[in-house]
Amino acid sequence: MLTRRDMLQKCAALGSIVIASQFYPEALLAAFQESEKQLRKPTPPNTMGPFYKRLVPVNGVLRSPGDSGIPLDLSGQVFDTRGDVVADATIEIWQTNHRGYYDLQGYRYRGKANVDKSGAYRFESVIPGHYPDKSRICQHIHYLVQAPGYKPLVTQLYFATDPVFEGDPAKNYARDPLLQTPELIRPVMLTGEPNEVHAKVQFELCIERL
Amino acid sequence: MRSNTSVFLLLFSLPITVMAQSARQETTITLPAGVSVDLASASVSPTGDLVAAICTDDMLRVWSAKSGELVRSLKANAGAHSAVQFSADGRLLAVAYEIVAYEKGTIQVFSVDSWKLEQELTSLPLYAVIFSPDSRRLSNTGDLGTEIWDLETQKRMARLSPPFGGSVALSFSPDGRWLATADQDTFVRVYEARTGNSHSSWQGSLLEPTAVAFAAGGKSLVVGRIDKTVSIVDPDAGKIIRELPKQPGLIWSIDVAADGKRALIAYNHGELSDIHHLTLWDLDKGTILTDFQKPGVNLVGGAFAGDHYLFAVVSSNQLTLWSLP
Repeated sequence: MLTRRDMLQKCAALGSIVIASQFYPEALLAAFQESEKQLRKPTPPNTMGPFYKRLVPVNGVLRSPGDSGIPLDLSGQVFDTRGDVVADATIEIWQTNHRGYYDLQGYRYRGKANVDKSGAYRFESVIPGHYPDKSRICQHIHYLVQAPGYKPLVTQLYFATDPVFEGDPAKNYARDPLLQTPELIRPVMLTGEPNEVHAKVQFELCIERL
Repeated sequence: MRSNTSVFLLLFSLPITVMAQSARQETTITLPAGVSVDLASASVSPTGDLVAAICTDDMLRVWSAKSGELVRSLKANAGAHSAVQFSADGRLLAVAYEIVAYEKGTIQVFSVDSWKLEQELTSLPLYAVIFSPDSRRLSNTGDLGTEIWDLETQKRMARLSPPFGGSVALSFSPDGRWLATADQDTFVRVYEARTGNSHSSWQGSLLEPTAVAFAAGGKSLVVGRIDKTVSIVDPDAGKIIRELPKQPGLIWSIDVAADGKRALIAYNHGELSDIHHLTLWDLDKGTILTDFQKPGVNLVGGAFAGDHYLFAVVSSNQLTLWSLP
């Protein structure tokens, strides 16, 4: 099987790419390959307030044994718009409990993670509830992503299983007045036994350089 | 055995009786069928003459606060983020809304006499817009930060952003020299309004400030938070002077009277909606002067007009004006 480099070299040999430069073809092909790397669209921002709390401790396990609600494993990676992994990002998340209440006294369902070398992060939590006032705000988890040299990203993760979307988030996302795009609504994978359902959600994040 | 529900009902039924006697219902306006007004989408003229609201049918409507008669209706945009505000002298009305989500907004400034569009500014997306006390400047704030505009030159004088997040509330000092912002990174910041230079900052809590207003002729700031606290802060030193007694709800908004001594505090008893409880405070004494609670309605805007606070609440398709003495 041809590698990308082999293919480019073959293109050069067959005349599909004409190299007219004083630099070595190898160097030019490497630069071409780099610039062709898939560009990523920045993760859309979403409103931050008003329940952010400063000085959240580094903690990826937000769920305690015996907590009510559907256990949620939340994971993803942080990239920049060039598609490169951002290995020194920190992620803060905050959410309600399964009944729709934020903890303002302590740090329940608030966590912080430093991503690993591959830009990956993971939180163990529960699926948040709807706000108890029956407003049109959907279930969501707040994100604050920061990394040196990058613009901070404030956004939210929403769940495709939210009943407000009636199974069609692409069509019904605007029912939440704060949702301007379906891109922030992520599919939910359910695993486990019927009496012990777990949810898994992946949320990749893309941040922009300053 | 008395149930917890009975205790709850007893505790919360008493203030409702008190409020019904202390607030006065002024005018009721029937909205068109199927039309309502979202939170913070209305403004009452400080002269007490007019009430303006961005309605859910994307129309801005202006009514006489005294007769309820419709004075004007204009095309607007009732998006997720919109704001409307009369100037302190009542001559101007700013109507602002988001054009591109999290990217761009617009602020239209109308003359209230002629309803002519005087200015149109391309701004950041916004939650709130306010005029300076002399009506010569305007400031807007939202998820991407705060801007200050010179209305005579139509030029942006400053753009202010916290390290992350935006700002949710603003206040000019009575002399127009300072601008205070309640920022989502949990700080309250004071800037020189002419230059945008930083003057002071105050944190005070790990949680977000949700309301800010200058008081005492600019010598203090009244800061409300999501943790049900209201603090009186020295805007020069960035230090707390004192706290008001513990508040009954999450602080939604704070308005201070022209005398700088009374503050109207509105509370959020739900998470992001359900604004039906207001208290009028004597800031010097730290005591409540008047209490208003009316479940089933939502505060959409208000202002001190003379010696009373005039405010608009919405329920189903009715907009009702009340006054607190």
